[in-house]
This record gives sequence, structure tokens and C-alpha cells, in this order.
Amino acid sequence: MSLKMQDKGGGWLTRQRQKDYTPYLVFTIPLAFLVIFLFWPLVTTFIRAFLGSGSRFSLGPLTVSNFERFATSNLYRGSLRNSFIISFSVVFFTLLIGVPMGYFVARVKMPFKRLILSLGILPIILPSFVGAFSWVILLGRQGFVRHYINMVLGVFGLELPSIYGLFGVIFTMTVTYYPFIFLLSYGAFEAVNPLLEEAAMIMGSGRSRILRTITLPLVIPSLAAGSILVFIRAMGNFGIPAMLGGDQYVLPTLIYFRVNGFWDLNGAAAISLISVAITGGALLLQKFIVSKREYETISASRSEYKLHSHPAIRIIATLYCGIILIISLAPQMTMFIMSFFTRWGAAGPEGFTLTNYARIPTIASRPILNSLFLATTASLLCAILGSLVAYITERRKPRGALILDLAIMAPFILPGTVVSVALISGFGGDSWLPLTGTFTIILISYMIRRTPYVFRSVVASLSQLDPTLEEASMISGANWLYTFRRVSFPLILPGILSGTILTFATLLQELSTTILLYSSNTRTLPIQIWGAVADGKFGEASAMSTLLIAMVFVVVYGMNRFLGQSISSSFKVG
Amino acid sequence: MSSSISYKNVQKTFTGSQVVHALKKVSFTIEPGELFCLLGPSGCGKTTLLRCTAGLETLTDGRIFYDDRDVTTIPPFRRNIGMVFQSFALYPHMNVFENVAYGLRVRGIDEKSIRNKVTDIMELVGLPDVLRRNPSPTALSGGQQQRVAVARALVYDPQILLLDEPLANLDAKLRRHMRAEIRRIQKVTNVTTIFVTHDQEEAMAIGDRLAIMRDGLIEQIGSSDEIYHNPNNAFVSNFIGKMNFFTGTIGSIRGEHYQVQLDGRNSALSFTPKVSSELKAAAVGDRVTVGFRPEHLRIKPKAPDHEVLGRVRIIQHLGQIIRYEVVVEEGAGERVIEVDMLGTVPGVGEGDAVAIEFSERGFLFAEGGEVA
Ligand SMILES: Nc1ncnc2c1ncn2[C@@H]1O[C@H](COP(=O)(O)OP(=O)(O)OP(=O)(O)O)[C@@H](O)[C@H]1O
Ligand SMILES: [Mg+2]
Repeated sequence: MSLKMQDKGGGWLTRQRQKDYTPYLVFTIPLAFLVIFLFWPLVTTFIRAFLGSGSRFSLGPLTVSNFERFATSNLYRGSLRNSFIISFSVVFFTLLIGVPMGYFVARVKMPFKRLILSLGILPIILPSFVGAFSWVILLGRQGFVRHYINMVLGVFGLELPSIYGLFGVIFTMTVTYYPFIFLLSYGAFEAVNPLLEEAAMIMGSGRSRILRTITLPLVIPSLAAGSILVFIRAMGNFGIPAMLGGDQYVLPTLIYFRVNGFWDLNGAAAISLISVAITGGALLLQKFIVSKREYETISASRSEYKLHSHPAIRIIATLYCGIILIISLAPQMTMFIMSFFTRWGAAGPEGFTLTNYARIPTIASRPILNSLFLATTASLLCAILGSLVAYITERRKPRGALILDLAIMAPFILPGTVVSVALISGFGGDSWLPLTGTFTIILISYMIRRTPYVFRSVVASLSQLDPTLEEASMISGANWLYTFRRVSFPLILPGILSGTILTFATLLQELSTTILLYSSNTRTLPIQIWGAVADGKFGEASAMSTLLIAMVFVVVYGMNRFLGQSISSSFKVG
Repeated sequence: MSSSISYKNVQKTFTGSQVVHALKKVSFTIEPGELFCLLGPSGCGKTTLLRCTAGLETLTDGRIFYDDRDVTTIPPFRRNIGMVFQSFALYPHMNVFENVAYGLRVRGIDEKSIRNKVTDIMELVGLPDVLRRNPSPTALSGGQQQRVAVARALVYDPQILLLDEPLANLDAKLRRHMRAEIRRIQKVTNVTTIFVTHDQEEAMAIGDRLAIMRDGLIEQIGSSDEIYHNPNNAFVSNFIGKMNFFTGTIGSIRGEHYQVQLDGRNSALSFTPKVSSELKAAAVGDRVTVGFRPEHLRIKPKAPDHEVLGRVRIIQHLGQIIRYEVVVEEGAGERVIEVDMLGTVPGVGEGDAVAIEFSERGFLFAEGGEVA
């Protein structure tokens, strides 16, 4: 009745009152979170970069002295150069290894394809710093494998370079990150419409010519995307260069060094800025390349592939994939074996023991609990934040959605150490909200870095959700919130779950952000492993790593069983 | 309680990558309890008008009233309406009962009443047994899904029911059955209903009144009889029932009697046509379009004094009538004229040359516009 009265008045106010404001209310929560915990720290980081060295934050005289060090200091120059050398080399080698492997698995008739695909994903699921210390065991100064390789190389008067230094870092990163290229190029080779290739064949092109002129140009967008992904990972990785870099620094370790060694937050901010500029530039470049070469991979009326079936090719392909898999999984196997021994000598593991495991409760029970608590809580928060933002930006498209969209994706180009620097910079002991040394600051850093996982996953499942279902609910009299609870949420739940579990699995092994944020109370399992490696206790480190990997495995495997979806598809999230 | 719906200068313009004027100044009223059909070719704005009625789209300009309540800015969930989507939009994660009960749960109605109302409505739509098994809607046949969608839309006694091509996903036989069902259910509930379709047979069979839309505009509103016998223009005449068109020039007018010189023919056509409203001031020398319904033409075996000549392409037996499709050469191309006869014409088979005879009862429209 009263509604009717108002409507006749029909004023602006009445009309405003009749609008549905719930989406706007929900919109403000993630926006507030991002403003406080992403924009504000980034702004302070930006300002700090132009302050004198030290950790004082004042709007005093601005200077570019922090940046000048890139011109004057050998350490800075070297780090920047190393970062570039490493990242480009890793991209180059991962392409070199990954593309043929992708092609073989997609186009050659060979056994164990499914097994190769699932084993191929492991190096990026498992913590990369585990790979780093295992390679020390195998290729370090008294390395077990090094011994034999040098025997062979010695014939030619050569010697394997030291695992400590650029060689080790590039090598380890390559065997860690090649799966991105392998899986993306596998997908691309699978997707290229064989009709196009057949057409070329009919016009008289040979196989290699077709590969060069038809197939490769069609998979280049995927390769470009994969390369950028690898580049950004290589730029941001902290664990591998920290363990294997020796006296060679890269930008993330330089940042760590500035903060932990000199407590020079302003200097670290400047390095962070450079690092973000590089990854941001890489991402823009990718956008540019990919948008220029958007080819249609028409899927209608596709004919079956003619797989290569020549015995020679089949043998080469199978051997190739087998060797790559063995090399890339060697660290995990080494670690597993090492966890049962006291030391690894030149002849192999020595001194079988179970004490490595027996000591875990004493040395690591607190870190394990911390890791579980942090990963669980952060995953749940990521799930809420990521799904809300995905839902709002996809479905409601309010003004400002684009900003939210960008903000939520921004952490993709922020290396872990940079996020830490920003958070310390925004919420240091003397700030308006001191959070350093707390669980909260670690949780926030995890949320910032992992919400994109859930976001992407939910956006993908939203695009499958027919909007008329939600409209039907509104017509039935349900407001936005009710509709979300009863219709949208249950239907995007699988997307939320897979994003969340992926987040959980990666957070359990998080090192590069935590390393700058932990305090004695908030040590995590990866930090504990890192410490054990630094102390040379490889046995303990291996036992803890085995436990960590077992936890990650249970979670990821459980997800696959539960959601019935392949691991590789969720890890493309990047 | 069903209400009337009035549109006052309703306009809807989509501004996306390109600007689309989907509705251009639409004004008309639908009476309470009426079963109203929106008919028009694809892309003419039917769905847009329906979504505007529901509040799923915001109007660019104009007002919409339910009775005398201005609902223009009221969100859909405060309007008390029901809607059936072309895809049915049944919730795949709820069973049939929960789907139907949804609108009642939203309204916070107690469990016992929900049970009663759902049972009643399922009875009304002819699916009382489905509730016993109560499967997921995905396990139902197309026709059953359609009935569940109707039940879900009607269970909370909406003022207005909106149906967007609700039969498009069903096969031809089921469509015919379901349209009768929808009319029956509508008459029982007496809820004001808009039924969108682009199938003229469906519209004529189901609607109390229909509106023919073209290009964001309403071309004509009326009962199917009115529109069939007094179409406003050539477009409408061919959308409700088939119309054969000929172009020509008015030779003379004597009262109701017209002589029209058809293009490309020697002798003039002399008849007493229904003159469309757009052509009230026709004068000698004006260009016009002459229309004949198939039943107002006759064919005869070819004789030398007959003028419009063609060749029979297909003879279809449609119950009582026999439809002859005659191919006529015209300028450079050819076209097909449909002629309905009450019995077979002796001596005329497929492939034979025939003459076409005009009767007295044709239509006269302004020139052009005989599309669709
Ligand atoms: N969300 C939208 N954004 C932009 N243009 C739209 C949108 N919805 C509809 N249109 C355009 O408005 C016009 C009318 O569309 P509408 O869906 O109302 O047609 P219709 O009569 O229902 O057609 P059909 O019989 O094919 O369902 C079309 O040109 C369509 O492309
Ligand atoms: Mg439509």
C-alpha cells in the first residue's frame, strides 16, 4: 500500500530507495581490503623508493639515490644483470626442452602419455627450493652424480661448472619451470586444427615445412604466454637463487639482503620498483604479442590427427620424455632417499637411520601447525574474497569493476619478496597499523598473492553459469544476496573449491613472501626446511620436505578425486 | 490478482560496441487477465520488451505501469511476476520440488503451505506424479521441464506471467500440445500473460490479442481475426497468414472499386479490395502493392486468354485444401505464388503450365514493405 503511494510521487529519492544496494555493499568489502592492504602498501613502497636509505618513512626531501646504486654499485649492477641473464636463459632452455616434449606427447604415437602428463606437472607443484638443495646433494662439490659426469667430461678436458652460481640457478629453474612450456605447447599442438595442416600437405608441403609455416605460427600465442609466465616466475623466485646463488645475487635475494642485512627498507623499495617494472613490462609485451597474433583454432569439423608412427621417431620421443622426467624428478627422489640417511657421500647415501623423521616432532611441530593454520585460514579468506570479486566483476559490472579486476590480478606481476617489502613498508612498527611479526601480516600477504587463483577459477566457472538462472531467481522474488546464496554460489562451488585447494597446496610451501615476514612465533615449515639446509642438515631438511610434499600431494590428489578434474588444468592458472 | 500492463513511450537503446535501438517509442496497454502474444521476426525486440516488462533491463526512456503503479525503476524481485525462459532456466542443483517451491521459500511461507501449493500447481500443470519420484530437473523430458518451469513461475500467484518463446525447445507435436496446455492453464489462473513467439501459427492459436513487432516498433495490435482480415500494411499481412504480392499502378477508382494496372501485365485488374489504413488517400496514378491470400486466387489449366502464367512446382495436400505452388517468371528472376484450392484441379499436375485468376477480394497496400 505504502509502496503505491510513494510510486505516485515518483521522486528521485524514491527511485533510489527502490534500487538493490546489496551488490554495492558487498562490492565495498573487497575494495576496502584492496585499498588498505594492496594500494596503500604499494603507495608507501613507491614513496620509500625515493627516500634516503634506511627505514624511516617521512615525506621529507625526495631523492633518487636508491636508484643511483644501480649505476654505481657492482652488487646492484650484478644482481640486475644476473636476474636478466637467468630469466632469459631459463625461458630459452625451457622452450628448448618443453616444446619438443609437448610436440612428442601431442603428435607421436607413444605409450604412457597420461603418465607423462601427470608426472610432467610435478616439478611446479612441488616446492622449488627442495629441488635446489637436492641438486646440491647430486651436483654439489662432493656431489654424487657430479663425480660420474666429470669422469665423462674429463675425456674432453672439460669439467661441470659449480652448482653454486648462475649455472646451478639456471639449471634448477629450467627443470622446475619447463612444465609450463611443456603443458602449454602440448595443449596448443593438440588444438591446432589438423585440417589446416592437411590442406598444406595437399598443396605439396613436406612435414618440416608444415611445422615451420603452419603449425609453429599457430602455437606461438601459447608459447608467448608460457614464456612470459616462466620469465615472471624466474624473475621472482627467491628460494633457488638464495640456496644456489653463492656470491651471485639476483633482485629478490638483493631485496632480502637489503631488508635483513641492512634494515634498509627504502633501498629495498627501490629494488622492488625496478623488479615490478620489469615483470610489468614483460606482461605488457605479452599482451601486445598475443593480441597481434590471435589465430582461430577452429574446432568444428576437425579430423583426427595422423600421429607420427615411424619406429625411430617413437623411440626418440619416448626416450626424450623419459630422460627429461627422470632429470626433473631426480631432486624429489634424492630428497626422499636422503631423508632415511645421515649423509650422502661420493659413493651414495650412507648410514641408514630414522632419526630424521624422529626429530620432526621436536624441531618442526610448531612450524607444521603454523603452516597448516596459515594455509587454511588464508585459503578460506582467498576463497571468499576471490569469489566475491569474480562474481561482482563478471555479473554485476558496476562502475569501477575494472579497477577491481585489475587490482585482483596485479599480484600476478608482484614477486613474493616485493609483496613482503610493501607490507612491511605499509604496516611497519611505526605505522598507523603495526603488523610486522604477526600471523596477520603473513595471512594478508598470502591473500594478496593467491586471491587471483580463486578469482580466475571462479570466473571460469561463472562463464559456464547461465545468467538466466539468476534472473529466474530474481523474478521469483529473491534479492541479490538470496540469489547468490541459493543459486549462484552452489553452482560455482566446484570452481571455488578447485581454486581454493590449489591455493592451499601452494601456500603450504610458500617461501619467498614468508621469508621476510616471519618471526620466531610464526615460522612455517618451509622456513624450517630452509633453516636446516642453511645449517647443512640435509637429512632433517629432506625428512621435513618429504612430509611437506606428502601433505601437498594428499591435498591435490584429493581435489582431483573429488572434483574429477586434471591437475594440469588447474595449474595453468599460473 | 492479475493486473493490466501499460507501456508509455518505452524506449530501449543498447550502447555497447555498437548502438542498437531495440525499442523505439512503444506505447500500448494489455488488459488484466489477457493472454497477449508478441509476434515478430528475429531481432525485432520481443525479448527486450519482455525483459523491460520484468525489470531485467532498465529503460532508456518511458514508463511501465502495472495497473496504475509505476514500476519503471522497481527491481524484478519486488514486482511479484512469474517468467518462463526459453531455456527454462531450471536450477540443476535442486530437485523438482525445490525448483517449484523456490519462489515460496523466498517469500518465507511455512512448510505446510509450501507443500500444498506445490502439489496443487503440479496438478494444474499436469505433472502430479513427478513429485513422487521428485528427480532432478535434468532427468525430465523437454515437455516435463517446460511444465515445471510454468509451475515454478505460477506457484506464488504472480500478477503477471511472462513467457519468452517457451515452446521453442520442444518438437513440433509437443509444441502444439503445450500451447493448448498453456492456454488452458492461463484461463484457469486468469493471470495477465505475455507470450513471445516468432511462430505466427502459435500466436494465432494461443493469443486473445497479438501485437506484431518489427524493428523495435509495434506495427499492429488486435485479435488474430482482426489482423488477418484488416492488416495495417503489407508486412503485417504476410506475417499473419500468407499473402501473395503484386505491384502496380492505380488506373481508376470508383467508390470501393479499383482498377490496378499490374506491372508486366497487359490487362488491368479490376476488383474491390480492402484498402489498408496507410492508403486511405490513394489517388489515380499512385504506385501500390496488391495482395491476395492464397484462398483468393484460383488456378486453371492454361488457356490463350489467360495472362498470369506459371508452372506448378509442388502440389501439397493440406487436409481439406490443396496448395499449389506456382512458379511465375518476373523480370529477370522468378517467384513462387501460393494458391489454395478446395479440391484438385482436373488436368493440372506438377510441372504443368497454369493460369492464375484473381478474385474480387484482394488487399491494397502502400508500395514497398512486403518483406518477410
Ligand atoms: N544486451 C544487449 N546488448 C546489445 N544489444 C542487444 C542486447 N540485447 C538485445 N540486443 C539487440 O536488440 C535487438 C532486439 O533483440 P531481442 O533479443 O529483443 O530480439 P527478439 O525479437 O527477441 O529476437 P529473437 O526472436 O531472435 O529472440 C537485436 O538487434 C539485438 O541484437
Ligand atoms: Mg528473443
